[in-house]
Amino acid sequence: MKLGYIINEGVAGIRRSKMPFMNSVFSVTIALVLVGVGVLFVDNGLKYIGDLQADYDLEIFMQNDASSEEIQELATIISEYPGVIRMDYLSKQDAADLYSAEFGENLLTLLGENPLPSSLRVTFEENYRSSVYIQAFLQSMKQFETIDDVLFQKDLFNRIQVIMQTIYTIAAAAIFLVILVTVFLTANNLRLMILARYEFIEAIRLLGASDFMIKAPFFLEGGILGFLGGTFAVLIIVGLEQALAAFNVINLPVRILDYPEVILGTLLFGISLSALGVLKAVRRMLRFVA
Amino acid sequence: MISFENVHLRYDTGISLRDLNFFIDKDEFVYLFGPTGAGKSSILKMIYMDLFPNDGQVEIFNIGSSKVKRKEIAHIRQRIGMVFQDFKLLMDRDIYSNIALPLELRGLKPNEIRSKVVRKADEFGLRSRLNHFPHELSSGEQQMVSLARAVIDSPDILLVDEPTAHLDQESAAGVTDAIWKVHDSGTCVVFATNKVELPKREPARTISLVSGEIIIDREL
Ligand SMILES: Nc1ncnc2c1ncn2[C@@H]1O[C@H](COP(=O)(O)OP(=O)(O)OP(=O)(O)O)[C@@H](O)[C@H]1O
Ligand SMILES: [Mg+2]
Repeated sequence: MKLGYIINEGVAGIRRSKMPFMNSVFSVTIALVLVGVGVLFVDNGLKYIGDLQADYDLEIFMQNDASSEEIQELATIISEYPGVIRMDYLSKQDAADLYSAEFGENLLTLLGENPLPSSLRVTFEENYRSSVYIQAFLQSMKQFETIDDVLFQKDLFNRIQVIMQTIYTIAAAAIFLVILVTVFLTANNLRLMILARYEFIEAIRLLGASDFMIKAPFFLEGGILGFLGGTFAVLIIVGLEQALAAFNVINLPVRILDYPEVILGTLLFGISLSALGVLKAVRRMLRFVA
Repeated sequence: MISFENVHLRYDTGISLRDLNFFIDKDEFVYLFGPTGAGKSSILKMIYMDLFPNDGQVEIFNIGSSKVKRKEIAHIRQRIGMVFQDFKLLMDRDIYSNIALPLELRGLKPNEIRSKVVRKADEFGLRSRLNHFPHELSSGEQQMVSLARAVIDSPDILLVDEPTAHLDQESAAGVTDAIWKVHDSGTCVVFATNKVELPKREPARTISLVSGEIIIDREL
């Protein structure tokens, strides 16, 4: 039944001090929107760069005299290599067709013989697209005599990696800073909210309320506050995404609605931020009055 | 029930209470009498353990001030009803909720709370005021609300601090009558006042204080 008191008081507390409560909700919302926009920005950036990178696969050219068994064997080995998600085989004929399609001449009739090698085009999974890993792969390809050459745009690949790393670092630092500042501001707002309840806390403390009974309703109130702030934040972010799409500013590849775990995370972060913030404020006040 | 042994209390501003020794039994009615600044409120604060002696020991319900735990303080306060000099009513909730608060904190069922609060309000002439807010009441009525809240959970000890200070004679008489009734129903009462008429009119044991020292402890 004490649960009844905690719930009643937690909800009534909101009604009794609407302004400070709404202030705090507002501040939590702002905090979460900033964090959410930051996360989306980085996510979209990474996705964009990831797509760019996907165009730069490895192309493995076979020796001209490689038999189809040898090619088959190599293809099996490569397709089982960890991190390879895709492998396309281009036969000599395919290569000639591509050439013809590109240059409008029939290479075979021109030369009487097809000089183009057959090849394997290899795509790596995103997590494996590091320079080091690819280098190791190239190294292990050297042992196959059927391979004539491997085409790999190493410079471009490396440059993209560096850009990505930089964006990642800067964005992470910025997001961290924003989180720090907003958490601080929110905590301050929550403290003001609790300060406005000084009389109540003082009174029930003197009426013999245990620390738990004093804190619990505020903890609940903080949770509700964080949930509201989180919900508003998600709605605002979705709204922003829709607006960007509606005005054709940019077509975001990553959207928050596609990631329920991000929405859940935002809500949980809001709830724990405010519930713990409130708890800390009350604890501080109790230490001060008692 | 209440025991003070060689109690000294120093505020940062200088010593204020010196060598207090007294014992109050469970069915007593005791005036704490003295001029302003004598130390009455400080003694009450030590009884409900909001203040601790620098020397000596205060014992309430056989729990000593020197080794009391935080949890025990809450329990002690649940058995003590307090009427504060400044009422400490909650301005943002109605009279009903103010009186009901101690019962809600104890986790009673809503219908139990309702019947107890209504009965107490009848007893103290507050029935028609239950849905009002404190600022809509006279000081006499506020004092009554504060008293009703203090005794709603049938405490073993009732502490009242200057309950007649801001009241006209008629309301003051009403409040003191109500306090005596609480005592008659078996509650230990400690009544702080600076008005000598009170112990004169309704005699009881009176602990008289002058600048932090007990000078007389007997019925006036
Ligand atoms: N928090 C405090 N800090 C410093 N000194 C205090 C504090 N509270 C009380 N005092 C001093 O202790 C002495 C006793 O104060 P107390 O409030 O107990 O007196 P009182 O008898 O209740 O007076 P009153 O009739 O005016 O309520 C006074 O000299 C007062 O100035
Ligand atoms: Mg006083």
